[in-house]
Amino acid sequence: MMSAVISILTGIMLIIGAIFAAGAALGINRLPDVYTRMHAASKAGTLGSGLMVLALGLYSQQWDDFMRAVATVCFFLLTAPVSAHLIARAAYVVGYKPCKETKLDELSVTKKSVEPETPQ
Amino acid sequence: MNGFEAFASDFLYACVSIALFILGLTFLLIVYRIIKGPTLPDRIVGLDLLVVVAIGLIATVGVGSSYTLYIDISLALGLVGFLATVAFARFILNRGQAKDFIIMQEIKDSEKQEEQK
Amino acid sequence: MNNTVFLMNLLLAAAWGAVTGSFTPLNLIFGFILSSIALFLIREQIAFRDYFQRGGKILILAGSFFKELVLSSWRVLMIVIKPKINLHPGIIAVPLSVSEDFEITLLANMVTLTPGTLSVDVSEDRKVLFVHCLNVPDPEETIDGIKNGFERQILEAFR
Repeated sequence: MMSAVISILTGIMLIIGAIFAAGAALGINRLPDVYTRMHAASKAGTLGSGLMVLALGLYSQQWDDFMRAVATVCFFLLTAPVSAHLIARAAYVVGYKPCKETKLDELSVTKKSVEPETPQ
Repeated sequence: MNGFEAFASDFLYACVSIALFILGLTFLLIVYRIIKGPTLPDRIVGLDLLVVVAIGLIATVGVGSSYTLYIDISLALGLVGFLATVAFARFILNRGQAKDFIIMQEIKDSEKQEEQK
Repeated sequence: MNNTVFLMNLLLAAAWGAVTGSFTPLNLIFGFILSSIALFLIREQIAFRDYFQRGGKILILAGSFFKELVLSSWRVLMIVIKPKINLHPGIIAVPLSVSEDFEITLLANMVTLTPGTLSVDVSEDRKVLFVHCLNVPDPEETIDGIKNGFERQILEAFR
């Protein structure tokens, strides 16, 4: 009985996670520029794969595997924003412009003089 | 009771199949973005998402084969993927600040495309 | 101070037992030795103050964080599914009142995983956080949301 309920829960979590991952992939194809694409990749992607790893931890029905799954998810939650932030910052500093629809850009005021000239 | 358990295992099998199918489509979409570009950061975001979705795929395969060692494999892949993304970001930063020819060309091209819209 | 460190050590030993999946005395003792080595390695950073009294507030912070994460993923999904994408993204400057490094890190990470916002950069003097928003009909409202939401919760949990 218990394992049957856990099986059904695992299946539902897998499907939801896959749908979030597909949404993230659709997002990076449909959104207009790097910065907006990063929104889709960092949020929906993290939640999708996190749900799937949790589903595997739940399915194993053992404490050690479940704890490791939780640790893995925590690790993803910590690293996904860091990598998104690094890419966004690198793209901005190098000079990739946000798309035309961007209404206001308060970072451009401060960033103009910061770009260092490296000696060749 | 017995019928319910049989239903549960059938349901799980169907769910794993559907999830694998959706993930396959997801990979195709991401690969399309990686090939099309148009800029280097776009491709790197695509690669990052590819690793994340691959972790989900590994977990799904783990449920399908009921082999829980896949949790550790997905954790290791997450570590490697994070380091790869950090390295790519540093690469863009370094090459961009050194006024790399290809990156500057890409920025000019993307600005031109924006104006044409 | 010493008590909290010892309690931390015991908790880490229990966590070791849970992760390795066996609660035999030998394994727990091994976990205790391992966690004391770990605590010895971070002895410089230990400023446990009175975290355990603030445990409740930290838990509230974690709970609201998970809620916002699910909400934000849902919103991104909805935006993406719509046949016509009509967005007005923008980069706004959020003045910071948190000052310590790990608080800024925490805030930036949380901002990235919450609805429609992604932290791009922190100014050199660590007073302003630059946030990229998916949709900014009203920048003031977004700034207010961040300042009254996560930033205040972080201040309550860690000060």
